[in-house]
Amino acid sequence: MIEIRNLTFTYPGAEKATLRDVNLEVEKGDFLAIVGNNGCGKSTLCKVINGLIPHFIMGEMTGSVRVDGVDTLETDIGGLAQKAGYVYQDFENQIVRPTVLDDASYACMNYAMKDYLERGKEALEQCGLSGREQDYVWQLSGGQTHLLALAGAVSLRPEVLILDEPIAQLDPAHADRIYQVLRELNEKHGKTIIVIEHHTEYIAEYCRNVLLLKDGHVEWKLPAGEALARVEELRSCNIYPPQITMAAYELQRRGSLPSAERLPSTVKEGQAAFENLSFRPGPSWGHTRMKGERMAAFEDVSVSYRAVKGEPRKIFEHLNLEIRKGEKIAIVGSNGAGKSTLMKLMTGLLKAQRGRVLLKEKEIRDTKPEALSRTVSLVYQNPEDMFIKDSVEADIAFAMKERQVPDWEERTRRLLERFRLTELKDRDGRLLSGGQMRRASLAVGIALNPEILLLDEPTANLDIATRREIMRTLNDMKHITETVLIATHDMQLVCEWAERIVVLCGGRVIADGSRNQIFGNEIVRRQAGIRPPEIFTMGQLLTPDAFCYTVEEFADCFGEKERNGRAAV
Amino acid sequence: MEGLKQKLSENILDKFSMDFLRNQVLKNAYGNDDTVIARLDPRILLVWYLFFAVVPWFSDNLVFLAASFLLVAVTTILARVAGLVLFLFGIGVFAQTGYLFLVSLFFGGNAQTILPLLVLTLKVATVSLASITVFSGLDPDRLSNGLMWYGCPERLSFSISYAYRMLPMLMEEFQNVLLSYRLRGCAPDASTFMGKIRNLIYQVKVIIHSFYPLMLNTAKRSRTTVEALELKGYRYAAVNKEVKRMKLASLRVTNDDLLFLAVSVFWIALAVLVNTLL
Repeated sequence: MIEIRNLTFTYPGAEKATLRDVNLEVEKGDFLAIVGNNGCGKSTLCKVINGLIPHFIMGEMTGSVRVDGVDTLETDIGGLAQKAGYVYQDFENQIVRPTVLDDASYACMNYAMKDYLERGKEALEQCGLSGREQDYVWQLSGGQTHLLALAGAVSLRPEVLILDEPIAQLDPAHADRIYQVLRELNEKHGKTIIVIEHHTEYIAEYCRNVLLLKDGHVEWKLPAGEALARVEELRSCNIYPPQITMAAYELQRRGSLPSAERLPSTVKEGQAAFENLSFRPGPSWGHTRMKGERMAAFEDVSVSYRAVKGEPRKIFEHLNLEIRKGEKIAIVGSNGAGKSTLMKLMTGLLKAQRGRVLLKEKEIRDTKPEALSRTVSLVYQNPEDMFIKDSVEADIAFAMKERQVPDWEERTRRLLERFRLTELKDRDGRLLSGGQMRRASLAVGIALNPEILLLDEPTANLDIATRREIMRTLNDMKHITETVLIATHDMQLVCEWAERIVVLCGGRVIADGSRNQIFGNEIVRRQAGIRPPEIFTMGQLLTPDAFCYTVEEFADCFGEKERNGRAAV
Repeated sequence: MEGLKQKLSENILDKFSMDFLRNQVLKNAYGNDDTVIARLDPRILLVWYLFFAVVPWFSDNLVFLAASFLLVAVTTILARVAGLVLFLFGIGVFAQTGYLFLVSLFFGGNAQTILPLLVLTLKVATVSLASITVFSGLDPDRLSNGLMWYGCPERLSFSISYAYRMLPMLMEEFQNVLLSYRLRGCAPDASTFMGKIRNLIYQVKVIIHSFYPLMLNTAKRSRTTVEALELKGYRYAAVNKEVKRMKLASLRVTNDDLLFLAVSVFWIALAVLVNTLL
């Protein structure tokens, strides 16, 4: 289907070639994942396949690329778009029309296909969006928006579909939905699918082959199972194999599993591989509920939003919650459960229609948000909105300067250092990489030394290596700010960071407790659509007594005791 | 009493929050696609608009103007225009002519001076309401199709519908940037009169400053949009006559459109007739 020979590509002005000497063949009907470090040329490779390079993005290109038997140099973009569809990582910017059907059929209309509406409808159906044809695009959830971007590409009936990090911004339920649609397109409609993907769990579950790209060069292309078992090689490229694979690798290293066996990569394979291991409970995490001073409280709070059409949308009904000093709380719940609303209420940006919101025992209804900002600080989900100045340094200093905090210069310098931003201090925040942008926004958030820090999805949109880095930063920050709330979908972050978990669902708190209480409760899990980390599910499948949240804990519980040198309790 | 006053001022402040503005703009752009007006053929509506946007300027006849005004007032109600737009309309009309009316009364004017002013006010109000009906009652996409049918360049009509597509996103982003300024900045104390003025100046300054990050964020987004448009064949369509024909094929004049025109014509004819009889 795709045949690339000796391809080298250099962006104009770049010193080094982004792709060098790439040779690749992709068969018809393949489901291929491309993995590799940041900046190794994954997106560039995909743009070569759909002809944006060299037709739209100029640069120096040698070698040949053939898609479905056609040389990309000899066809125009229009012709290629009908052979290879592309869905961007920032897919919402790919949607240019106001309504759903309109956007899905837009390309077909532009290429003067008479049946453009039928094609649009068919594409929507294949992508699981039928029934939403007349909706406005902003009424869709994040996952549905992604499906619409996909439908826009599918409508041209290309043989190849290329998706750049399709699930980076989605919660697990939506992510599953995307991959199920892709699988159906692959199996039922015979499309060749190429994804750039960091989530190796999904690769293990859905993809057939894996291609490792390193410094613009193809290292290998292997069947998924085999590829994911190459733990060391993947780790050296900053790719984290599935937790199951990591656990098996760790157990092999400790000698608890025979090393000849191939490493499992899915829960199902894991079940067979770990079957004979015996479980030994690890040191359990003592969970003590903080009894400190009450920092914030919600008393019988109800909130609803004005809707553009029809009835106001109810977010909270009679919400009650207390937050004590020193707590590290994770707020979880599906999209639209009110996580962000809860945070906005605490900053005073939003007023409750009924009920009271108390901060340090004072009701905040009549207090301006400006006055609260020394007590509470909110870091938005989208870090770009945090940057209002033209350099990172100015952004961090801004709030302190405005309030004439003594020695703000010194404090800014220290913050830059602490978040490893000193070298980037003169750059514009928007132009930093994802991880740097997050670090900068965290630094901005704690500049005023708030007593309560609120973080909205601090690990969204990051690749896994960067996510780890941010998790480390968050763990470091535990000493700086006493009371921290994180709203998140990222269950690994929840497991490794939070001391208390609050589950929101249908406008109420449906569960509130330690991770064992939350993840061990299947009803809550199902009701709120929470998915624990894969390793936890694995442990539970092996024995209901196992509460393992990290690969380490899993290896400790199921490995031989004398090898890891830790005393068994 | 004190409580009531406080409640009232709180309410008004609450009404003019960014969130409210955003809601009103969205409501205006998308919220009324199921009204009688929105279902009309855009071409018919544009002709209709042309009449009510031009003819009132050339007539000084009170009966005709009053009839026109009544008609466009009815269509405005039918289009279910958002409250904020009507409020701005009210202020606009008053700023144009209404204050003259008051001033002339104050300086001892009588019916003789009031009449020409009333005529002018009616003219301005009729034309404005007709514009509001068409541009705010009609779905932007249908409006741009209608414009295209009359030979407006494709680029213009694409810009209109793209602007509406982007509007909610931009408003939300603007709101967030504005909040960043508010939360991290330090507004002057607004308890004294001077403080209030300083506070107002500060607020305006913040709004102006907020455009800078907004523009940069938009520029960043547009990198993807430009590529996506290329892939979706936007450039092909711009030069292809067949595409234009296909786009406009969805426009259809129905009985409702004819009825709408007939009622309008009949009403105006009636006004003219009454006028000659008088």
